[in-house]
This record gives sequence, structure tokens and C-alpha cells, in this order.
Amino acid sequence: MNRLKGKYILITGASQGLGRQLAIDFAREGAAGIAIVARRADALERVAASIREAEPKAEVLMIAADLSSEGEIERVVATTLNEFSGRLDVLVNNASSIGPTPLPYLLDYPLEDFRQVLETNLTAPFLLIKKALPAMIENGGSIINVTSDAGRVGYPGWGAYGISKFGIEGMSATWAAELEGSRVRVNWVDPGNMNTEMHRAAEPEEDPTEWADPAAVTEVFIYLASEESKNINGQRFEAQEENWGRKAEAVHSE
Amino acid sequence: MSAPFSFTLPPDLAADEPPERRGIARDEVRLLVIDRASGQLEHTRIDHFGEFLRAGDLLVFNSSRTLPASLSGCVEQGPCIEIRLAEHLPDDSWLALLRCQRGDPFSCGLRPKMLVDLGQGLTATIRMRDEHIPRLWQLSFSKSGSELINAFYLVGRPVRYEYVSAPWGLDYYQTVYAREPGSAEMPSAGRAFTWRLLFDLQRRGVETAYIVLHTGLSSYLDEELDAQHPASEEEYFVSERAADKINEAHARGGRVIAVGTTVVRTLESAVDEQKRVQAGHGYTRLHITANHALKAVDGLLTGLHEPEASHLDLLTSFLPAEKIKEAYQEAVRQKYLWHEFGDLNLIL
Repeated sequence: MNRLKGKYILITGASQGLGRQLAIDFAREGAAGIAIVARRADALERVAASIREAEPKAEVLMIAADLSSEGEIERVVATTLNEFSGRLDVLVNNASSIGPTPLPYLLDYPLEDFRQVLETNLTAPFLLIKKALPAMIENGGSIINVTSDAGRVGYPGWGAYGISKFGIEGMSATWAAELEGSRVRVNWVDPGNMNTEMHRAAEPEEDPTEWADPAAVTEVFIYLASEESKNINGQRFEAQEENWGRKAEAVHSE
Repeated sequence: MSAPFSFTLPPDLAADEPPERRGIARDEVRLLVIDRASGQLEHTRIDHFGEFLRAGDLLVFNSSRTLPASLSGCVEQGPCIEIRLAEHLPDDSWLALLRCQRGDPFSCGLRPKMLVDLGQGLTATIRMRDEHIPRLWQLSFSKSGSELINAFYLVGRPVRYEYVSAPWGLDYYQTVYAREPGSAEMPSAGRAFTWRLLFDLQRRGVETAYIVLHTGLSSYLDEELDAQHPASEEEYFVSERAADKINEAHARGGRVIAVGTTVVRTLESAVDEQKRVQAGHGYTRLHITANHALKAVDGLLTGLHEPEASHLDLLTSFLPAEKIKEAYQEAVRQKYLWHEFGDLNLIL
């Protein structure tokens, strides 16, 4: 408890699945303020209620936005920084679009869908980091990008989503290199297979009970959001890998 | 009140588009350096700024984020108007310039209690004319706090003056280090900074600090009124960290260099008689002129100001008017560019 005491946090894709669970668990760890962003205002209302139930003292800001446009991202960052008086400690780029379902092969992928997936999954995190950095550069901060094993392996049918996650991995490494020596760290996490609405829609023929509950994967995110990871930059974590903690220790002691 | 000196600004020296759209980077605009001690001029570019600084100097930036402060709406069965936000008042109302979209821009029957529908569920109620600057009206919005800021971003656009060639997006009106929103117009002296330049300055041992002053409007679209330089009241914040950095810089013999006239106004408002800057939140109407003895600031990086701009008064607190006039004449000869997308002037 209280590992995130006093922290101001922005989470995208927070209306369901992993984003929702991160918002609740961050509040339980004492976060001072959490801005939750997703397209649907009604879904955000429900998440906000769950956060307040978990931690009545948490300040929750709901922002309904479509992250596929720059103007919307500017609005998200400006509103967040207004609410938190210019302060932001943690940014979690979690929002993802899976694209059309059932998943078409790249050969059949409509260009409009391809562009929309890249806008949401890759361009939006780039812009969010760019616009959030000024609030982090003096006090330090943690940026956590959510990736996938589809960002390392080319799976047939995962088309634009997989390509966007390859992009997230490269972009995270580049941000981390550019910010080396500053007090802002950039790391990325593959949460592994999770039983979420998005995953069920993408692979309706698979048995979702074999996938992890989002609540089982948040520990590495809490670690990366907290001061415990203040010297960790440019690292990829796998949330369901038993050894992630040891990996963090090894990097820490280098 | 008149400007401390006059000069003629040829219209072709107004920067009508951002440098990035003129084929140069943000940090490649020109820099006219005036040496305060000798009066000597030097021509360079902002990416060479670091060559004029020393390790231990402190740059102070204004991190206020530009609002999309131009809103459009209509009064039910009444005129449609543009609202240009000018200032957020302590009672949560706003001062704004109201400009009629048809006919005489300032005469379309606006009166108190009229309700302006701005879309997205946002309305503004007209209250009364401002007593200091009658061109401005006091407004109450139907939302407040972050909900109101969110609504401004949904319906607003950046304030644009007639010399700007196209309705550039809000991103062109932001500094790269902008944080909390609140400025009606971009604190534009900092626009030329890129992270590459900021990191380069850091490597040279130059320190940075950030204050916030939410800027008002630079023009009330009324030449006579603008020429009188009515001092609008602007909200500022100086953090403990910023105050400490400024006082420490002076204590070690470093120079405190304001990036923008807004920073000069803030620090000269927040400094005490012992020349120590105090952290705090306040509102300032400070109008700095040649008679003002600077206590907190040693140098200034700023844009080039229009012939009638009140900022010219402020420059005379750094240098005699005659020296500034010579520099401005040279800037005109050398075809420096004016306004928010233009070139810069360092007085150090």
C-alpha cells in the first residue's frame, strides 16, 4: 500500500480490461490523482465509481476522447494538467485498437482500418509522451507503454495491431535513449494473454479461461510507476513472466 | 501613454507563418543580440544562444499552455459573436473581447444577461463591461474548472491576427515545454526552443526554471486603445523550486535571464526589497518602464515588438530607448521578422 502515494497518473484505454484494473490498483496504492481516458463517457463513469470504492480519497478525472486525432490528445493533456496543477508523474499508454474483427490478413486489410489502428496504437502514444514530458522533466516521471508479443513475432492475422506493437517497442527504445540521463524513464510491458473484451473479440474461437485476469498482471505496472523503479529505463518487461522481478533487480544493480 | 520611441515596421516583416512552414526549424530563427554594457549588436541564430551564456546562468521560462481562446457562438435570436478569452478572474468569471461577426465588430446590441451558446453544452452569460478596459466584457460560463478547460478545447481555436496567413493548428501556438493551460496567446519568446536546444544548454551548465503567467490578449483590435497600453491583470504562479533556483543563481553570481516579457513581469512582481524572489500566486498589473529598477532579472530574450507595443516600455528598463531604437532600425534593415512566429532579440 502507498507505493504510489502522492502520484498523479494518466491512463489511456481505462474504460475496461487492463486499463480499468490499473486505475483501480493504482488508487489502492495511494495515487493522489488519476486521469482516466477512453472513448465512452458512460464506461468511464463506471470505472470512476470502482476507483472511488477502492480508494475514496483518490481524485479521479474522466476524459472522454478519441485518441486518433492530435486535437483530442492536446485536450486530454491540457485538461489533465489543469486538474493536477501542471503535475504528472506517470503516463500509461494502454489504449489499443485491435482493428477489424475477425482479424483479416494483411493482404485483405482495408487501408482506412490500417491507418486508424496505427493512429491510435502508435501515433497517439508518441503525441501523449511528447505533450506530457514537460510536466515530468523537472520532477521526474515514468512512462509505461503497453506492448504485446505480437510486437516481436509476426502472427498471421494480427496485421496492423502487431505492426503497431512492433512500432511501440521501437519507439519506446528510442524515447528511452533520448531521455537517458534525464529523470524521466520509459519502459514497456507485455501483459501477456488476458481475458479482456478486446481479446475475446479478436480470438472468439479460443478459450478465454486460459488467459490471465487483468488483476493478475498489474504488479509490474505498480513497480514501474513507483519510485522503486527510478533507475530503470529502456527495459521491456513481461508481466506474466515469473522472473520479471529478478530482471528488474539485475538492471537495478548494474 | 506613448511608446518610448517610434519606428516604421514594413508590412513584409510580419512573420505570417511558423518557421517550420518557412523551411527552417523552430530553433533556427534569427537572434539579434544587444550587449547591455557596450550597446554592441551581434547577429546570429537562436541555436547559437548558448554561446552567450555561462555555466551557472539561469533561464526562466513561462510554462503556461496556450488555450484555444477564440470561441464562436450565437445569442438566441441575436447576434453571432467571437469570444476572445483574455483573463480568468478570481471569482471564476472571465474577461473577454466580444467581436460581432456581422457589421460593426463592436456594435451589435450586446448587453448584460445575454446567453451565448457555444456548442458542446457550453454557454456563456454576458455580465458587464470591464471597468479598466471597456472593450472587454465579463462573462460567466456554464462549466468551471477542468470541465470548462475541456470544453474550451472542444470548441475553441487559437486566437489569430490578420497578419497570420492561415488558421494554423493549436500545436503551432505552443512552446515545447508548455504545461498547464491558461494563456489567451502563446508566450512566444519561448517558441523557438526545442528539446535539442534545451538539452544543449543543460550540457553547458545553464540551469532552467519555470514559472507560470497566463497571458492576456496583446491587442483589443482598437488602435487607439492599444496605443494607450492599458495594463491587463494577469495571473501568475512562482513555485518554491523556481524561487529557490532564482535566488541561488543570484547568490552564486549567475545571471537570471527571462525568456519573454511575461517572465520579467512575473519576477519583478514577486521580488521583495531585498531582491529575493518569493514563491506564490498572484495577479499583476505591473507596467514596467524606464523608471523601473530591475531587481530579479538580468537579461531578456524576447521577440521583436510592434511600434506601439507596451513591451517597448519594458525594454527600456534594460537599455536606454535610444539604444533599442538603433537595434530595431538595424533589425528592420536586416529584415528580421516580427510577431509570434518571427525572430528574437537577446538583451544581456
